[in-house]
Amino acid sequence: MKESLFFLATLAAAQSFEQKGFVEVNSMLYPQSARNDSGHAVAEGLLRYEGFYRPHPAFRIAAGVDARWDTHQQTAADFNWWERTTHRSAFDIRRLSATYAQGKFSVELGKQFIRWGKADLLNPTDRFAPRDYLNVLETDFLAVTAARVTYGMQSDTIDVVFEPRLTPSRIPLPRQRWLTVDSVPDLRPFLPGGPQAGARWNHIGRGVEYSLSFYNGYNHLPPYAQMRMYGGDAALPLRWLTIKGEAAYFASKTRYEDEYVLYVIQLERQAGEWFFVGGYAGEAVTNGRSIVDFAPDRGLAKAWLGRAGYTIDTNRSVALETAVRQNGHGLWTKLEYSQALGQHLRATAAIGLIRGRQDDFLGQYRRNSHAMVTLRYSF
Amino acid sequence: MNRPILLATLSAICGFAQTSGDARQIIAESQKRAHSDSQRYQGDLQVLGGNRQIARKHWIYERLGDFGNSKAVLRFLAPPEVKGVALLVINHPDRASDQWMWTPAINRERRIALQDRSTRFFGTDFSFEDLEERDVEQFDFRILGEDTLDNQSCWKIEAKPRQTKSSQYTHTLIWVRKDNYVPIKYENYQKSRLVRSLHQTQVEKIQGIWTPRYMEMTDTRRNSRTIMKLEKLEYNVPLKEDQFTVQALRRQE
Repeated sequence: MKESLFFLATLAAAQSFEQKGFVEVNSMLYPQSARNDSGHAVAEGLLRYEGFYRPHPAFRIAAGVDARWDTHQQTAADFNWWERTTHRSAFDIRRLSATYAQGKFSVELGKQFIRWGKADLLNPTDRFAPRDYLNVLETDFLAVTAARVTYGMQSDTIDVVFEPRLTPSRIPLPRQRWLTVDSVPDLRPFLPGGPQAGARWNHIGRGVEYSLSFYNGYNHLPPYAQMRMYGGDAALPLRWLTIKGEAAYFASKTRYEDEYVLYVIQLERQAGEWFFVGGYAGEAVTNGRSIVDFAPDRGLAKAWLGRAGYTIDTNRSVALETAVRQNGHGLWTKLEYSQALGQHLRATAAIGLIRGRQDDFLGQYRRNSHAMVTLRYSF
Repeated sequence: MNRPILLATLSAICGFAQTSGDARQIIAESQKRAHSDSQRYQGDLQVLGGNRQIARKHWIYERLGDFGNSKAVLRFLAPPEVKGVALLVINHPDRASDQWMWTPAINRERRIALQDRSTRFFGTDFSFEDLEERDVEQFDFRILGEDTLDNQSCWKIEAKPRQTKSSQYTHTLIWVRKDNYVPIKYENYQKSRLVRSLHQTQVEKIQGIWTPRYMEMTDTRRNSRTIMKLEKLEYNVPLKEDQFTVQALRRQE
């Protein structure tokens, strides 16, 4: 009896609950009207709440919900656990998962975020990370429903993921400015129902970190083709800077899908109040079969990418982000200023400039240059 | 070289060797007296520009293992926008530490490269390097003399990193109290320029270990300082090895 009381007391002491979230209001102003959209302003609101409950030191439940509204018909009352709605859900389960960890072993089941890769500019191996592309350049990750098993300690870990049903990326909406063709066929009825699986081995060495990864399933971007990926990534800190590289080869059994290699190599450095990341993203098509697709990851390939930032003081920072197509046919650059106003509030103002040709992935959005103001209250 | 000068030179060399050995012993004794198997505290930080509070932060810090060969996780509890951000520090006796930072907003961990560790840690006046422990064998020590600080008699010791590339500082001056071997001040230099100083006060005996509860880190280049108060400090708490891995950073969010 004493022992069981002691156990219960220990359990109660070990229990913990943590929560966090924010309310965000975001306004985007577009000086130019676009082919499918005459609107010049879009306002969005988002309430995000996340809670983490740990009934036992080895067990954790993570849950998160989003509540949204906007002025541009991007949000609908639809709800789909697998995030298969064309619009954003007005109320959405952002994440809901349970994790059990014991020694070298951990398993997480449920709707969760899985990020692979080491590069910061582009992640070809990040296959379990669909995104919301309603705004192609300001994206947010969508959680996938999966079982994730991780085995290993610090130096070598193996990550095995099984996703029973694809969560697709959310693509730009018809009659909105981020869709630059007149119309697109509704591919939702053709979303694949089959599972995807992947494994990643990660090694952390004294001077270098590297991974090998494999993915078999479907592309979360249209036309949702069958895809098999063989990838790797590495980070090598040198005396003056860190070199990171990531590459993946994509093969497909789908008749109209390209087979290609996507890679990125980047240099990064922080010095004092500055940080800098710059590099090149490249692509080599080994079997060109695609007729049409929407592929922001490949859209940033064959381009020089960079990000630089300066911390003015504890509460203020500026950052510049850019992508320049190597042939000069596309350019995107964003200048951002951010300031904390007290302990809870942060204001961010940004200007995004897009230039280029209609046949370039970046250039096609050239009428979407914009100014943006965001206010976020975190709690 | 004539004899008197030779004797004087030999005397100086022997004197230096003696002083150097004493300095190392003092630092080793200081680390020995501060030994614990593990540690946990909550840090309440105020970042001040002049006398005006610019930001307030709160973190929980857990450490496991011997000084210089320990593992530590620091996780922000406040302000809300950085809640959950965590830093894993794995200290090594023979080299600089390994560090990884977990950022919940992007669900990614990132290794903090050695050359990036002079950067300020999340808007505080601590740099990433200031959050690591260094074993006594990684430095050459020299006693510069005796000094009185905070009404306490102290040894004033110079520490120079043996692998100069592994530190942003060329040397550090340390004031160690004679009565309890607690270091109460560090001045970190880049060549002749003082860049950061850490002043530790409110030294209390906690579970048999003399511990400063109040730290003030000053960045002399920015004229900024960070005050940290250690709350809920405990030694020899039950912590497990598997809490101090990159994988655990994600799990412990």
